[in-house]
This record gives sequence, C-alpha cells and structure tokens, in this order.
Amino acid sequence: MSNPILKVENLHVNFNTYAGTVQAIRDVSFDLNQGETLAIVGESGSGKSVTTKTLMGLNAKNALIPDNSRLIFKDRNLLDLTESDWQSVRGNEIAMIFQDPMTSLDPTMKIGMQIAEPLIKHRNMKKEDALKRALELMKGVGIPDSEEHINDYPHQWSGGMRQRAVVAIALAADPEILIADEPTTALDVTIQAQILNLMKTLQKDTGSSIIFITHDLGVVAGMANRVAVMYAGKIVEYGTVDEIFFNPQHPYTWGLLNSMPTTDTQQGGLQAIPGTPPDLLEPPKGDAFASRNAYALAIDSKEEPPFFRVSDTHYAATWLLDERAPKVTPPVKIQKRWAHWREMQEQESQA
Amino acid sequence: MWKYILKRLALLLFTLFLVITVTFFLMQIMPGTPFNNPKLTPEALAQLKTTYGLDLPLWQQYWNYLVGALHGDFGTSFQYQNQSVSMLIGQRLPVSAQLGAQALVVGVIAGLIMGAASARNKNNKIDGTLGIVSTLGISVPSFILGIVLVYLFGFKWPLFPVSGWGDSFSQSILPTIALAVSPAAVTTRFVRSEMIEALSSDYVQLAKAKGLSPKEIVNKHAYRNSMIPVLTLIGPMAAGLLTGSTLIEQIFSIPGIGQQFVLSIPSKDFPVIMGTTVVYAAMLMVMILITDILTAIIDPRVRLQ
Ligand SMILES: Nc1ncnc2c1ncn2[C@@H]1O[C@H](COP(=O)(O)OP(=O)(O)O)[C@@H](O)[C@H]1O
Ligand SMILES: [Mg+2]
Repeated sequence: MSNPILKVENLHVNFNTYAGTVQAIRDVSFDLNQGETLAIVGESGSGKSVTTKTLMGLNAKNALIPDNSRLIFKDRNLLDLTESDWQSVRGNEIAMIFQDPMTSLDPTMKIGMQIAEPLIKHRNMKKEDALKRALELMKGVGIPDSEEHINDYPHQWSGGMRQRAVVAIALAADPEILIADEPTTALDVTIQAQILNLMKTLQKDTGSSIIFITHDLGVVAGMANRVAVMYAGKIVEYGTVDEIFFNPQHPYTWGLLNSMPTTDTQQGGLQAIPGTPPDLLEPPKGDAFASRNAYALAIDSKEEPPFFRVSDTHYAATWLLDERAPKVTPPVKIQKRWAHWREMQEQESQA
Repeated sequence: MWKYILKRLALLLFTLFLVITVTFFLMQIMPGTPFNNPKLTPEALAQLKTTYGLDLPLWQQYWNYLVGALHGDFGTSFQYQNQSVSMLIGQRLPVSAQLGAQALVVGVIAGLIMGAASARNKNNKIDGTLGIVSTLGISVPSFILGIVLVYLFGFKWPLFPVSGWGDSFSQSILPTIALAVSPAAVTTRFVRSEMIEALSSDYVQLAKAKGLSPKEIVNKHAYRNSMIPVLTLIGPMAAGLLTGSTLIEQIFSIPGIGQQFVLSIPSKDFPVIMGTTVVYAAMLMVMILITDILTAIIDPRVRLQ
C-alpha cells in the first residue's frame, strides 16, 4: 500500500488580494498511494479546492506558491512545469471531476464529443475513433441506450446522467490520479450513492488513485482508504478510515464527526461546530482551531501543535496528545455513535 | 421547425398589415397636399385627384391600397409621374441591401475579432484601447463619421471616391465603413462581456482540466457560447443600419431607398413614403425572423415549437 504515486511536500498557497495576502494553504504535506482513495475533509473554506486546483495547475492568477513547496509526481516537481507541460498532464495523467454537473458541460457541444475531446488531445485519436471510445466510456459509466444519446446535448440530460458524463470525461484518457472535488454535493441523495458506487467500481477496474474531496464525513466511510482532515489551510489529522472514525484525536475531527448526518436519530438534527473558521488574511498564532475548541489548552494560543504520532498511519496535530496534557475523552455523543457504528458493522458482516 | 417558421411568417404578414394601416391613416393627417402648386387650376387639381384616386371616400382608398399592396402594387409616385412605387423601390432596394449587408458583415466580423481580443486581454492595454474605441464607435452617429471619412479620405488624402454607386466597388468602401462602425462597436462590447463570462464558466474550467490549450478552449468552447447571444443583436443592428443608411446615402449620393425616402418627405410623395415604410418594416421583421431561426439552429438549447 505504501507506494506513493504523488507526494505533496510543504505546500503553501497564498493569494494576493486588495485586502492583503490570503494564506489559503499553510504547509500541507501528504502522500497519495497507488490505487488508494484518499479523502480530504473539512468545512467550507478550509482549502480543499485550492489544494486540488494546485494539483491541476489551475489556480487563480493571483495565486503565489513559494519555491520550497513541492508536488512530486513521477520523479518531477509539478510546480516546475510550464503551461504547455501542464497541458499534457491535465486530463491525461491527472484528471478532475468537478462539483456541479449542471454547469460543467459545454451546453453547445454534443456530449459524445465532449467525452472524446481528451482522447483526441492526448491519444492523438482521430475523431471517429475517439467517438467510438466515447461510446464505450458512456456504457462504462452506465448511460442507458448510449448509442442513441451520444449526439445529445447536456440540457437533454438529468443532473445524475450529466455527472456520469463528467466522470466519463475524467476517465477518458485513463489517468493515474483522479481528483473529485465534492462530486456529489450538487446531486440528490439517491443519485449521490449511485455516482459514488460508480466511482468505486471504476477504480477497481482501472486501478487509479483517487483524491476525494468532501465537507461531509458521511460519504467518506464507504469511499476512502485514508482520510486527511483539513482546517484553515492545514491538515490537522490523518489516518485510515477506521482510525479517523473510531479513534479520532483532534477536537476538530470530533466536531466533524458530531456534525455528520447519520441514520441513528438518537441525537437528532445536525450539530454544526460552533464558531467560524479564522480569517486567513491573518491566521491566529498557535492552534488555529483554539478559539472554537471546548478542550483548548493555554498553549494552544501560543504555539502551533506539531504532529503527534498515534500509530504508523495515524497522526494528529493537537496539544492534547502531548504527554503533559490532561487526558480527555471524546464527547459522549461520539462515543454513542461508535457503539452504533459497531453494531452496524456487525450486522453487515453477518449479512 | 417548418411549422414554427410558417407561424412566424403569418405573424409577420399580420404585423405588416398593421403597419400599412397605421401609415395609411398617419399620411391622412399629415398637413399639406402634394399638389400645392398655386398655378394649378381647380379643374386640373380635380383631374389629378381622379388620376390618383384621391377623390374616392377614405375607406375606399384604404381598401384599394390594401388590395394593391397584396399584389405588390403600392401605387404611383406623385413626384415622378408614371413611375410605380414598386418599380422605384425595386430599383433602389438592391443598392441599399448591398450596402447594409456589407456594413453588417464587416461590422459583426470586426466586432467578433475585437471583442475576443478584448476579453482575452482583459484589463490590459489592448482591452483598454478597444474599450475606448468601441465607446466612441457607439456614441458617434454614422452620418458624422461619414462626413469625417469624406473629409479625410476624399479630400485630405483622396484614396477613395466619395460619391456614386455601382461604377466600382471602391465607391462602397467609405459608406460601408461609416455604417459598419456602430455594429462593430456594439458587437465588440457584447462579445467581450459574453466571452469573459464564458472564460470564467465551469465548462471552460473543465476544458482546462482536460488539458486543452487556451487557443483550443477559445475556439472550441468559448467562441461558440459567446456568439449565440450575439445573434440576437443582429435584428436591432439591422434596424440601426436602416435608419443610418438614409443619411449615409444622402452624404455619399447613393441611389438607395434611404435617399429616396429622404427626398420623398419634403415633396409629400405619400405613396413613396408609405411604400418605403412598409418595405423597411418588412425587412426588419425578416431580419429578426432570420436571427431567431439561426439562433435555433446554432443553439441546441433553443427548441422551436
Ligand atoms: N483566487 C482567490 N483569491 C483569494 N482568496 C482565495 C482565492 N481562492 C480561494 N481563496 C480562499 O482560500 C480559502 C480556501 O478556499 P477553498 O479551497 O475554495 O475552500 P474549500 O475547502 O471550501 O474548497 C478560502 O478562504 C478562500 O476564500
Ligand atoms: Mg471547495
């Protein structure tokens, strides 16, 4: 499993704005292993999309990435690529699925052609051959009666079908890495599940690695192998899915777990984390989560916590893990959820 | 599609009928008569009125006019004896149509190029310059531009002929430019804003994520999407050209219907005024119909019913 295809090292992304410099990504490092799905979760504004756009070389013009940031993919630092080098990476080696299928297809181009485009570009295919392959891809992503619909325009399709087309576009050139930035947020729940299942099956067939972005931990459990939790431009905890769900260490992760919509109605309703994320124009000193943290320690407002090792695969950046810190247990509500999840897991394994 | 076109044509005919009716009765309340030569004897005047059917009751005149119009007969000119209005217009219409078409094509093509250049260089010098040029182009009326062109390229640097039509193509260059500037400016601004919107859209983001080059993105995705709304402009621009051409034809002594129209007003040549108005209205409506049909063909989202 530990065969990284992508290494992100000390990534910083700043944005120049009239108000000053927005420090959107503040020293993010992670590995993506061959064939795995890594979920990046965090509230809105935590820097998930900026991370994915950086991986595609598609950041806004006002973005500034310092020289010590490195994105190592196949023995080269993507941050050194020229624009034309990037064009041969995008949609070819690294592809992306966007959030809103209603707006991400060109309304004036036939869908079959939109799926064929990456093949024409990256595989030097002739139009007819590319369209033939597009048809196969349409079947592969479960578009019924694909032959009849290859010449349709986007407005003739539902949101769920369009997102399947977007998935087909991303998979067209057989990329090594697939980035999905909240690929189901704009869809209703049943369609969401279909798209997620589709992505899982396709990953089994192609063996590609997936970076799966979401603000909703609920969809992570069934999708990902590992989870990285992001807050205010930093990763604050990462580990395997089981580690994040059953042994979370960071109070922010607790908050996210607590705000998960689940089928267990014991507590009822959503519990958003109180407070708001900090201003990234002037990030606070110390632990950025301190002001919203019910378990905050005095040191949190003075010094930034390093990553503490929980296991070989599990690290968390919270002073609570320091040996001098008082021992705290996660909130009761989360403990109740664990009991519930364990029950569900047992039921599933019996079935 | 055909059903839709037929429906639109029927509507067009009905509108034309309304235009004819309104113009006919407006002519009646226009002061003065075409026959106000004081030397005319009452007998001669009566004679003239009978010739032109002006002695008949009003509703009869209206009916005759309608029936005539249905057969393409818009009466006889007061001014040029024995010349039928249809013939007068028929001779001059091709001239105006050619001038208008040249100006429209030149204007729209120039606008498409400048608008795209402006959008792709958003907020730098090229964009700024084109912004100023297009603002000027919109605000300066075409006849003033015509006069300036005549002065500059007819007298100061005599490069082009400044009057006449049909002897050589070069005669049409200055009037075409004078008329084309406004549609070019309007198209530039429109294409610029449409293109900027398209370039920041999600589907362009996806096109980038596919690895397409900026040029491919503009040519394959952004252009088509920003051109569709431009089509809707062609109707109004054609209307602007119709009115603009009346004065331009005067300035460059071009024998088109615009010039005819201007000449017929002081001489109270009612049949010509009315005939020209109807032709103008018809041309305008046909232009709008053509744009709507083109939009439906080019934009897959528009489904005609
Ligand atoms: N082009 C930009 N200019 C300035 N700030 C930006 C820009 N793009 C993103 N940001 C800021 O970066 C932060 C992270 O944004 P984003 O990655 O979109 O969050 P999310 O986790 O919701 O995807 C936000 O505070 C956002 O305002
Ligand atoms: Mg986002």
